[in-house]
Amino acid sequence: MTTQNAPTSMYRTTEGLGVWEHKGKVAAVGIGHSPTTRRWDGTAENTMGANSIFALRQAIADAGVDPADIDGLVLDPVTTTGAHWPEEQPIPMDVVNAYNQTDDPLDGIAKLSAEWILKNMPELKNVKFTMYGMGCMSHAIVVAAQAVGEGRTHTCLVLKSWHNLEGRYNQSGISATDTVPGTFAMSPGRTLWGAPGSYGTALQFAEYCRKYGKSHDMMAPFMANSRRNGLMFPEGYWAQHRPEALTAEDYLNARWIAKPANLFDNDIPIMVSGAYLFTTAERANDMKQKPVYILNHASSRGAQRSILPTLDEVEAETAETGRKLYEGAGITAADLSFENMYDGFALFHQFHLEGLRFRGMQNGDALDFYQTDISIEGPNPVLPSGGNIGSGRSRFWMHTDCIQQIQGRAGARQITGIKPEIGVSGGPMPMGGNFTVWSASPD
Amino acid sequence: MAILISFDIDGTLEVGDPPGVLTMEFVRKTQEAGILVGSCSDRPISSQRAIWEKHGIAYDFAVSKHQLPDVKAKFEADVYYHIGDREDLDRQYALAAGFEFFWPDEALGEPWLPLDGKSS
Repeated sequence: MTTQNAPTSMYRTTEGLGVWEHKGKVAAVGIGHSPTTRRWDGTAENTMGANSIFALRQAIADAGVDPADIDGLVLDPVTTTGAHWPEEQPIPMDVVNAYNQTDDPLDGIAKLSAEWILKNMPELKNVKFTMYGMGCMSHAIVVAAQAVGEGRTHTCLVLKSWHNLEGRYNQSGISATDTVPGTFAMSPGRTLWGAPGSYGTALQFAEYCRKYGKSHDMMAPFMANSRRNGLMFPEGYWAQHRPEALTAEDYLNARWIAKPANLFDNDIPIMVSGAYLFTTAERANDMKQKPVYILNHASSRGAQRSILPTLDEVEAETAETGRKLYEGAGITAADLSFENMYDGFALFHQFHLEGLRFRGMQNGDALDFYQTDISIEGPNPVLPSGGNIGSGRSRFWMHTDCIQQIQGRAGARQITGIKPEIGVSGGPMPMGGNFTVWSASPD
Repeated sequence: MAILISFDIDGTLEVGDPPGVLTMEFVRKTQEAGILVGSCSDRPISSQRAIWEKHGIAYDFAVSKHQLPDVKAKFEADVYYHIGDREDLDRQYALAAGFEFFWPDEALGEPWLPLDGKSS
């Protein structure tokens, strides 16, 4: 079986499409996560592939589904956090041979194909549909939702895995070469010779502060709240390994990475896999967990005029994303119980929030909103997952949290200030990403 | 002679992530010898304090990586050392702040002791 990237026709990228034709007909039921680690320890049992199998089996068990009933698998085959396998480094064949291999020995270690998963999970004997949603879990989710809606699969696993190798972030691969062609070197986060990854967001945030009279210090309550939420996320890195709060003093004393983006405005790369089980609304009724219905998905494909998007471009794109989400779901901003938009980098979360018009917010309002009660106990929970800030770089805590909140399974992190009925999650970037509206009800 | 020693945490101290070669007992003995000790790390300041308090070490300072100049301004000493495991985030910051620098394995030999009459 050859796995293709999802065709562009599966994404809802424009306004005017009306209510999603599959609204409420697709549901998330099962959730699975691997343990987190900071880096791969070199052992066969802790490879990214092993984490993937673990997370998938967790999701299957959580949904209470017979693996033989699963007929679909959507995943992102790119698993790097910025760590690349050095060309000169021998591939550990004992690790490779511990699994059933494809023709690429790094499959399951530093990349992941659907073929590798199916070869190593013999219980998935009836999977007939596989597809790649390239980029992150946000991408894979919208592909899987659309696939179930279109009837390509009725019980579909959705997977995102990350590997992180020994060494530093984004300092191997092309970053280790003496020359880098074209404009690649100038793009943020691409190479040692370019600006830090957060540089573009930092520029937008600086302009945001200038335009609206705000300051970086005003981010502190949001950062502290996000880490607090993360420390109540037992699946996350900080909760599992370093249960450290992030106080306002901690945040404000951190060194600059790309001023005004400081160390904690950037996330920490980790090893982790996350998986969900999606199915039709009808089948979900017979499964173990409460269904969480997908009301809509929408994608942003913003075009920037230069190397970096301007604040104006970001604000226009996030507002359009908000309108697309509401139009397809047949709801308004007033219907949102909570939001879990992406935060890696922390300094763009407010662009997503304002684009949604969350709690009536307009451009320039978010940092003032952060000074109010944004906790899970209050009426306006912001990022109850804690996101990457709270649990490490996975780009999927926000989706897990939406499902868990609506299922009432968020544990200590459960929203109590309001009833969590409709949530929204997605990302990554304000100018480009994939977003999903989740609901307790299919209507 | 007054000596101040700043310890990086991750990759330097045994409690770091990754663990380093310097034990907390080593730091305790250094502090008990009358040397001013503290941490300079990318870890949150509150978490640095928590580490010292957990191990019962009476630290003199806990600062972020770029704040060594503040430490030098606050504490009067004849010599200032920073111990860390990274060229860019430890050695370069230390030298720029007017500190002398040791790698963790160099520090194991306590090279500052000959300078300190009380400790020799």
